[in-house]
Amino acid sequence: MSRVSPTGDWDGRSFAHEAFAFSADQELVDRVVPFAVEGLSRGEPVLVVAGERVRTLLTQELGADVRRLATFAAAETWWQGGHRTLHAYDRDLRALQAVAPTWRLAAEPTWLARDDGREWSRFEAVANRCYASLPYYSLCLHDRQRLPASVLDAVARTHPLTWGGSAPVPEPAYEDPQQFIRSVHPAWVPRPARASVAVLTTPREARRAVSAAALGWWPARVGDVVQAAHELVVNSLRVAAFAEVSSWTDGDTLVVEVADSGPGLPDETLGYVPPPGGPDGAGGMWLAWSLADDAAVDSHPAGTAIRLFFHR
Amino acid sequence: MSALRRLDAPTGLRPGDHVCWTFADAADFTATVLPFLEEGRRLGEHLLLVGASRPELLSALAPLPGRDELLASGQLEVRSTAEVYASGGQPSPAEQVTAYRSLVDAALARGRTGVRVAADVTPLVRGGVDGRRQLHVYEQLADALMGTVAMTALCLYEASLGAEVLGPVTLLHPDQHSGEEEPLAHLSGRGPSLSLHGEVDVTQADGLSRALVDVACGTPGEVVLDLSDLRFLDVAGARALARATQVLRGADVHLRLVRAPRVAARCLGLFGLHGEETVPA
Repeated sequence: MSRVSPTGDWDGRSFAHEAFAFSADQELVDRVVPFAVEGLSRGEPVLVVAGERVRTLLTQELGADVRRLATFAAAETWWQGGHRTLHAYDRDLRALQAVAPTWRLAAEPTWLARDDGREWSRFEAVANRCYASLPYYSLCLHDRQRLPASVLDAVARTHPLTWGGSAPVPEPAYEDPQQFIRSVHPAWVPRPARASVAVLTTPREARRAVSAAALGWWPARVGDVVQAAHELVVNSLRVAAFAEVSSWTDGDTLVVEVADSGPGLPDETLGYVPPPGGPDGAGGMWLAWSLADDAAVDSHPAGTAIRLFFHR
Repeated sequence: MSALRRLDAPTGLRPGDHVCWTFADAADFTATVLPFLEEGRRLGEHLLLVGASRPELLSALAPLPGRDELLASGQLEVRSTAEVYASGGQPSPAEQVTAYRSLVDAALARGRTGVRVAADVTPLVRGGVDGRRQLHVYEQLADALMGTVAMTALCLYEASLGAEVLGPVTLLHPDQHSGEEEPLAHLSGRGPSLSLHGEVDVTQADGLSRALVDVACGTPGEVVLDLSDLRFLDVAGARALARATQVLRGADVHLRLVRAPRVAARCLGLFGLHGEETVPA
């Protein structure tokens, strides 16, 4: 058996992001136990957040060393929607960064098995960009018995590393985060003729216009719709003299589009980058994305249009 | 507590009203103060007009019915800004407000129904950053005073001062007139704590941060800001509150945000702020 190198040539100074999919118990043990042991031997904080099956196996295999883990937590209670989950995770990371030069994490996002948990792959994709300089190794564990093929496919496309048997190797299916995000957003279809359209120069006018549209659709979500659209309009008005705000319903879905003739959006992934941090306007994109049920971006040098989708 | 409103005319005002009014030029100034003072005359109020130059003010008042009788009886006073706000060195904002309180008491004792002041505050803004800081403290204390005594005030500012100067000042008034602009927010000192009313978005974020820092930094310890009447807060507004909180911490002031509506709490959370005792609105 060749010598196992659990983190390959990772130097502990930047982000490494590996997806490991397992079926048999032994497969999991052979990957995670050396990973944890290596971290402990190097004096790094080792964190494990996983489902019950993984926790049970690790407890058996690591024995007393389980108590040396910086965190050993159940993943089942972590999910609170993509944005909230990432925001909480992000705060933990920043706290860790303040006290540790490097650390490693074995995490099982068990919620990928839920319909409403699949959006997590978007955050996994964008993490490759926004966490690129954080000094930790994230080993993401995926149970083949619980996850459908479509989710495992998204996992491969969002993790640059996979397990090669004795060391991490590049994942051939890995995609650029922006490309992945585009592929999972709703298709950009032409705006229907029935859409109501307003051209606005202040965010206040935009709030009034969007509020009127949302009230006729579902009063209970007016606050979310107005806030989300407002943040997009504010961003538009940073780069353009006016914003075009349109809205329409498609079945039970309200679509709000904010378009401008600015220079295009330099980074289409900002809606998945937790605040604070990022340029002016990034916090507004994060908030808008978190309030909406889905989003889509059409950006080119002559302008940007962003659609937010709200499901009734 | 008076609700935030946009004022289209300088009339229909009653004690407790505190108006921020931007004017374009001398003609606009005159056209604004005349109906304001005339209304006060009809209500039996003591009238005070304050501006840069007393002679100019007197000539501006020429069309006011019974101007000379009002002046002779003492019901109408005309004074220069320097005389009112800077006599005897540099009176503190608190001393100025005390002087207004005494003026109200004296007017009531003479049988007037209250005091009505129209003041061109523009000269005070020219005092640089320190002068503006003092002005913000003063406007806030004056606003709180007007919540408790029979006083109506029209604070006039030249529109050419620009948004950077007018932003924080406007926010400190519940009644606002600024061209066609709809007033959005009021930072009030009326009531047991500071409170923020209306809508705070990116257009007032800088002004809010400055006004809040200036009015709170003189009181080390805890300053409570009640957010329960906030109808809208955006990310830029929350960032401004976060910035103010941080600046105030440097002055040993702990700004405590309370009773944030659910929508505001969401934005505040982005900056690690909490609007404790969140109200459901």
